[in-house]
Amino acid sequence: MTLKKAHPSSFRDPSGYVFLDNNSIKRVIKPVYFKQYYALRDSGFYKKLFANKLLIHHEELSVSESEIVVKPEYIPFITYPYEWSFNQYKEAALLTLKLQKFSLEHGYSLKDASAFNITFYKGAAIFIDTLSFDFYKDNYPWRGYKQFISHFLAPLLLARYHGAQSLKLLSEYIDGIPIKMLSSMLPFRSKLNPTIYTNVHLLAKFEDRHSEDYKGNTKVKPLSKSGQLKIIKSLYDFIKKLKLKEYTEWGNYYNKINYSDRAFDLKANVIDKWISKLKPDTIIDIGGNDGTFIRGISYELKQSLVCDLDNNAVDYNYLQVKKNKETHITPFVLDVLNPSAAIGFNNKERSSFLERIKVFNPDVTLALALIHHITLSGNVTFSMSAQFFSSFSKCLIIEFPKKNDSWVQRLLNSKAEFKDHFSFYTIENFEMAFAAYFQILEKQEIEGTERVMFLLKRIADV
Amino acid sequence: MYLLYFDPSIGAMIVQAIVAAVAGVVLFSKNLMFKIKSFLGLIKNDENDVFDDIDIENRDLENKNSSDS
Repeated sequence: MTLKKAHPSSFRDPSGYVFLDNNSIKRVIKPVYFKQYYALRDSGFYKKLFANKLLIHHEELSVSESEIVVKPEYIPFITYPYEWSFNQYKEAALLTLKLQKFSLEHGYSLKDASAFNITFYKGAAIFIDTLSFDFYKDNYPWRGYKQFISHFLAPLLLARYHGAQSLKLLSEYIDGIPIKMLSSMLPFRSKLNPTIYTNVHLLAKFEDRHSEDYKGNTKVKPLSKSGQLKIIKSLYDFIKKLKLKEYTEWGNYYNKINYSDRAFDLKANVIDKWISKLKPDTIIDIGGNDGTFIRGISYELKQSLVCDLDNNAVDYNYLQVKKNKETHITPFVLDVLNPSAAIGFNNKERSSFLERIKVFNPDVTLALALIHHITLSGNVTFSMSAQFFSSFSKCLIIEFPKKNDSWVQRLLNSKAEFKDHFSFYTIENFEMAFAAYFQILEKQEIEGTERVMFLLKRIADV
Repeated sequence: MYLLYFDPSIGAMIVQAIVAAVAGVVLFSKNLMFKIKSFLGLIKNDENDVFDDIDIENRDLENKNSSDS
């Protein structure tokens, strides 16, 4: 048996582990899971899920007495639960329930229900933990139930009552939001809803009551399969109908963006022209709002990442991805001033945004209408921004709004007497700072605006 | 055999019997309301609903297979 170094995120489940082999991901299955694996493979269970694009496709590479190696399809960029918008989170939750129902109907059960078992790929949520399925034991309740509540229902409910910021909580609670805390954070009126009352408040009480049982004297109460299916179905219906209070209609979102049509078109044309010259496969649009500019690119991209701070923009983007069946766009929530950190054991279980984007290694980075926010709201110097972008961008298309731009003025005015501190905010200083890391290939003013577009190439790659 | 690599919480294993009973009542009454509403013609389809039903469509698969052969 050859020794393979398990990926730092893959140690919890003894059924097997994932390792990196050059640039591909491979999964080792250990003898303890052979029986399950053969059953899932030979019954056509895996095949059905592959065909429905619910489980990441894998091919079997080798079978020996000590291990089976499979190679799952490579996902170029993994997003984590704390980077999903409300509807992405909803879809991930629904996918888990859907899989559990399907499993139960075929004699299996999901042995865990971690939100990290799901990511987004080709325009939809997909399950990536091939070894999560186990045999169903008659009249045994769902082992993943509590995990489902703390990983999925908890953030969704908190977002419903307290806003979309709550969706980020899993970055602190990698094992899910504690049920007792969840119960205490929900308003009293939530107790009147039978689904919330039983799945949260009652669960919290039961957990509390049995938390002192260190000897394991308490017996598991049997639950019929049809009973378990009722839980699954009622949670599915409940989550499917869950909506954020922050908006009522998707369509409204677009109207809130106040571009002048002509300037907007000019800017889109410049980007399109540059992109068709660069012929990139992969791109990331940072602060990409609802993906408008990515959709304006006529060149066919293989994989586009579009991140934004605003949950509503990402959600709107995701809804368009679903409606237009766009497979190359992956939207996610990200705050450039505080990108997702590395978390978990050894700080390595879930990698940081910077680690992941460096591996993704995009051909082009877009940073439109962003630098004034980073500089003036975040107090980040030009030199720091240049260093940040150069750490993962081979080519950078960046928009610089000059001091007289109305947005820049608005940001500066909010600084009151501190305004003079930002006298360094000039295009000359911007160019000088970025010239330390990038070569300026193109520079173009957007007619009728105070904005300038730059096409930069990283010096290290010149 | 179950691989016990995380604690499912004993409380959560016990409470499911009650959760299921309540879920049964909720599903039954929702179903009844749905039938009454559709009888009265009060059901509107939500155009913004992008999520499927809980059931995985096996029919698509069967059709695909049969057309291939």
